[in-house]
Amino acid sequence: METKIGVFLCNCGEAIKNIDFDAAVKEIAKFPGVTCVNLSSDLCLEEGKKKMISCIREENLERVVVAACSPEFHEHAFGEVLEKAGLNGRLLSMANIREQCSWAHDGDVTGKAVELVKMAVNRVRLLQPMEMKELPVNNEVLVVGGGFSAINTALQLSRVGLRTTLLEKEAALGTGTEELESLCGFDTSSMVSAVEADKNIKVLTSARVMEVDGKIGDFSVRIRQEGGEILRKYGAIVLATGHQTELALDCELKLGLSIVSQEEFCRMLGNPSLETEPKTIGFIFDFCDENSRFPTLATLNNALAAKRRWGSEVYVFYKSVKVDSEGAEILYQEARDCGVVFLKSEVPPRIDVDNGQVKIKAKDVFLGEDIILVCDVLVAEELHLPTEETANLSSLLNIRRDSRGFCQEENVHLYPVASEKKGIFFVGGCRGDLDLGRVLTDISSVVMNVYELLSSGKILVEAEKVEADPQKCVACLTCIRVCPHGAIQLVRINGGKEVAGISDLACYACGICAAICPAKAINFQSYRDEEILAQIEAI
Amino acid sequence: MIIAERKPMEEIKQLIVPYRKVLVAGCGTCVAVCWAGGEKEVGILASQLRLARSVERNEISILEATVERQCEREMVAEIKDKVAEAEAVISLACGSGVQTMAEMFEDKPVFPGVNTTFIGMPEREGLWVEMCGACGDCFLDRTGGVCPIVRCAKGLLNGPCGGTRKGGKCEIDPEKDCAWVLIYRRLEKQGRLDLMRNYYAPKNYRAVKRPGKVQAAKA
Amino acid sequence: MRIMNGHIVAFCCEHSAYPAADSAGRLGLHYPENVRVIRVPCAGRVDLIHILKAFENGAAAVLVMGCEDGACHHITGNTRAKERVKYSEILLKEVNIDGGRVRMFNLSPNAPHKFVRAVNEMTRITKESGR
Repeated sequence: METKIGVFLCNCGEAIKNIDFDAAVKEIAKFPGVTCVNLSSDLCLEEGKKKMISCIREENLERVVVAACSPEFHEHAFGEVLEKAGLNGRLLSMANIREQCSWAHDGDVTGKAVELVKMAVNRVRLLQPMEMKELPVNNEVLVVGGGFSAINTALQLSRVGLRTTLLEKEAALGTGTEELESLCGFDTSSMVSAVEADKNIKVLTSARVMEVDGKIGDFSVRIRQEGGEILRKYGAIVLATGHQTELALDCELKLGLSIVSQEEFCRMLGNPSLETEPKTIGFIFDFCDENSRFPTLATLNNALAAKRRWGSEVYVFYKSVKVDSEGAEILYQEARDCGVVFLKSEVPPRIDVDNGQVKIKAKDVFLGEDIILVCDVLVAEELHLPTEETANLSSLLNIRRDSRGFCQEENVHLYPVASEKKGIFFVGGCRGDLDLGRVLTDISSVVMNVYELLSSGKILVEAEKVEADPQKCVACLTCIRVCPHGAIQLVRINGGKEVAGISDLACYACGICAAICPAKAINFQSYRDEEILAQIEAI
Repeated sequence: MIIAERKPMEEIKQLIVPYRKVLVAGCGTCVAVCWAGGEKEVGILASQLRLARSVERNEISILEATVERQCEREMVAEIKDKVAEAEAVISLACGSGVQTMAEMFEDKPVFPGVNTTFIGMPEREGLWVEMCGACGDCFLDRTGGVCPIVRCAKGLLNGPCGGTRKGGKCEIDPEKDCAWVLIYRRLEKQGRLDLMRNYYAPKNYRAVKRPGKVQAAKA
Repeated sequence: MRIMNGHIVAFCCEHSAYPAADSAGRLGLHYPENVRVIRVPCAGRVDLIHILKAFENGAAAVLVMGCEDGACHHITGNTRAKERVKYSEILLKEVNIDGGRVRMFNLSPNAPHKFVRAVNEMTRITKESGR
């Protein structure tokens, strides 16, 4: 018995003008299996949808083709219409006769429209129903790190009701946040107290992650502490392993009273009993590292603070001042207005130490001349680098890092806090070039993402959307090695045979495994070989 | 597993010049895993042959079939109808599979579509290397699991030859690791370097009579 | 079997080329109407047999379109597609079909002009190519 297929065409409120719908309907009615063809002008509106539901029920349709606008808009909504009519929402295929037909070509495009419908009809005939399944997930979260980002992520996760473990390699939380504190004016100790008092947060210090297994909703993490090792399970993992700074200095030059880091300088600024206030101060930044948001803010802040507190002469050597962080432009203006002198040069300045005084030599771009500055204190340029923890953890989790070693986002614009594996996120300094504003946004992003995934204790997935047929799978391991999202593992089935098992939770439905399987064992619902070839044959 | 490589297209096209209906038969085991003769490769070759003959304006009908293991009579029997329909068969299985098919369908020309090359393993995705020479007298126990018969360019039993290049590379083929360096390092890790002092007499290559036969003791 | 029917099959990844094609329509950027788009979740889903079958079915040219280098939503999909397209050129040459009739294009979803350019390019190639 031929599968009953219904075709619904829409002229989009008559926005589709160059298709002869009468002729099209006549042609389409001839396609094998098509038992009804309808034309509407408002399929996506309530009236149109109602008519579709009645038609599906009356004609006992088994498959539906909608020929209208791009599936990017309403495919999901039309799927729901099918469900309301008692048909599985996946038994639908759309033909894009608007954006990719009517609007894209001159003249009469009826022929193409009919062919696009034929392609969709051929495909829809082969589609199989897909069930939704609820899979239970562990809703505890592991946050690795103990600095500003880690602490705040944990606090926010707790606020939305998720239990979190904060795992820090040092003996105490809040190490390494002094620079941030002085720049941004928050108080680490009160944050740490809040964490320690929070019933939803468990703090593990002097702890390291040794091994991670599993996938989203079910990560098994082996943690080593002083006493021994423990095994914990989590639904999601957040990396907040921070960054570290390294002075971009010749090894000959030593840190001392004359050459300091930004952090050191902050301490000097905050020291009420400082012996001598430096009269001339030099800053260098943005030469060795283009990604200089944080150094820019630190320099501007500290330069301004020095001017205001000590009234010193402040000179800033820079390659370019990037002011894309919120408030940076204003800060720059203030600093200039206050009398901070900015000197632009192309190459890093030369630094010499002479009798306890620092000599900086640079060629100013605007003057075209060499400038020599003798100063009491030089705040040297700092490189912002990823930490060893970031490298270790990325390796354990098998997630990518970018060319500088920071965590690589799945998509810089759309998914900036997610790795390419579901359930693994990162936040803060380990993401690279950030400022406080962005960090706070990222923390909220991560918390929202994790909440969405885990809060109900279960995740709705399309059951066996991509599945390896155990009969055909020869366990050649190709798909396991090739999956970019780590969603496939070897699993043992009834008879003891080992085959590829694709996790419904971790799968991104890209189809890379389906294409590469040498035994054609992977069934990718809606995009099987047959379904693609059927469209080709319709042309 | 057995590694094979598809024959050059010209050679395959020559084989089927006089025919108008040909079956391309694949095997789902070794040749499928090394991307030479599985169901996918059957589809690709069939498609290419149709296109080729269409361009030459000498259309041909190509049937496709793949069995799980082409060296098993029961499995090959499953496609006997398709074989009967065709005038000739191109088998993409290893030599064993080609011969099984030829034996089962004696009246039908069965042609090899791949060259069976060696017994090997994947070094990395898409790259298969020879590991075993099927000499019939395995002595991997005393070489730390590295076979010098196929992995040493000179097939030495008492290596190294003394011509090893810097970096442990072979004198004959500088891209290859010297097998005896690999053997040394392996035995070193296992604390069995004393084995290197032993002298091994020349191999009895007659241990494998051609064609080889193995009779299992139990039924 | 029809050969070189005149139509072009374009496999378009749903993260880049498909929305780019939609954009082209919305902006009124016109291109030859002999293009048939087949939507795939990733360029990496496109396999050799799909390309060959398109030609068997009479396509004059085949386009495989995915995300820009380094920006594949599924990280390695566009690289794999590129490798497969390169191999399919060889497979086509083996049967005396011009390998230039199959090509990979990389673009982002907000580049409708790139989509149009790719289609125009392939149309030109098919007109010039003898076989």
